[in-house]
Amino acid sequence: MNEHLLAATTPSVDLAGVTLAYGNGPAVLKGLDWQLLPGQVVGLLGRNGAGKTTLLEALLGLRETQAGKAQVFGQPVAALDDATRARIGYVPQQSDLFDSFTADQLLRYFRSFYPRWNQAKVDGLMSRWDINRHQRIAKLSGGQQQRLSIIRALAHDPDLLVLDEPVASLDPAGRRDFLRELVEQVIERGTTVVFSTHILSDLERVAFHMAFMSEGRITLQAPLDELLDEVRLLSGTTSEVQGLVQRLGATALKRKPLAAGREQVLARLPAGTQLPAGADGEAVTLEDLFMELT
Amino acid sequence: MEDSFAFSIQTGSAEPIYRQLVEHVRRRIASGQLRAGDEIPSVRELAQVLAVHPMTISKAYSLLEAEGLLERRRGLAMRVAPQHLRAQPAASRIELLRPVLSRAAAEARQLQLSKRAALKLFEDILDEGPET
Repeated sequence: MNEHLLAATTPSVDLAGVTLAYGNGPAVLKGLDWQLLPGQVVGLLGRNGAGKTTLLEALLGLRETQAGKAQVFGQPVAALDDATRARIGYVPQQSDLFDSFTADQLLRYFRSFYPRWNQAKVDGLMSRWDINRHQRIAKLSGGQQQRLSIIRALAHDPDLLVLDEPVASLDPAGRRDFLRELVEQVIERGTTVVFSTHILSDLERVAFHMAFMSEGRITLQAPLDELLDEVRLLSGTTSEVQGLVQRLGATALKRKPLAAGREQVLARLPAGTQLPAGADGEAVTLEDLFMELT
Repeated sequence: MEDSFAFSIQTGSAEPIYRQLVEHVRRRIASGQLRAGDEIPSVRELAQVLAVHPMTISKAYSLLEAEGLLERRRGLAMRVAPQHLRAQPAASRIELLRPVLSRAAAEARQLQLSKRAALKLFEDILDEGPET
């Protein structure tokens, strides 16, 4: 992908210095900066309570922020026009479907809001995912409600898709089916996708970039391939490890002092760098990165 | 998709998916299971089958092309490059095992296992393995 061209286009999501607190409580987002470029598929990683849902709601304009800039497709999220709103698809963590409607009634209702509505896709997914159109939503299982929520979010072929734990109620087969749909239909169209989930194996498959959230900020965002290739857990005496980091021009992502003058450093080496023979450096997995960086 | 391509992903690994795919194709070509002229699945097709981001697949294919293992043809499926007519001799195939065995050896030393115990385990695993 041509980074130069990408840089010249308007980001799909652009947050700068966003701060948000609930009432008089502590800030959940603390001057957070985050950019999603068109077509990027980004996995959002953070511990429970880190503020991932708050972040996603803030970028959709559903939460009032106290400071900073939040834009989607170049428009302030607090004042999105209908045309821009219609380019966004959202699967919330908590199902927000109307319980007393049937699936059919719900989809007909939403259809009226969107100039672009892909009925063929809706029909295909409804039958593939086995959702009874005429049953009241309250009577559908948790998994079926979640699928319906996904169909609603995909029906208007959005240019930005925000997924907040979209598959928590689905079994592995249902999740794989959803991932295939993402790859075949959504990513193929160049949709920008933010995907928050604790199921790391799903993210490994479909999210090309990972964003790590910690202490109210996005502390690192990079392609997962590059992180697995470049990040190593270095161990040794403090002077050995620090010397190594300096010699290689590596970036220390996290330091952990150990007993007896030893230290462990999670370091990102410059691309293509090999550790010198004899250096104690272990490759890491996405789960390791999650544990260390969130 | 052709069975000769049978590839499955290991998630949760320190080896990124694109490299798993590169190594897989390298092994298949070295063993002669994939040969000169064999077509490989398109990026799109493989991305769908594996439910993986297409950029991950195209990254692997580009590396394999740069290594001279695959060749790209305008408008047609990529295929195994013409020089790979037959399996490589065992003496060079075995070199492909070196990286993974080096890692295993390092871990065996960390665990302070005897050479004999580690080799015994490797023998047992070879004997029980589903793949011959």
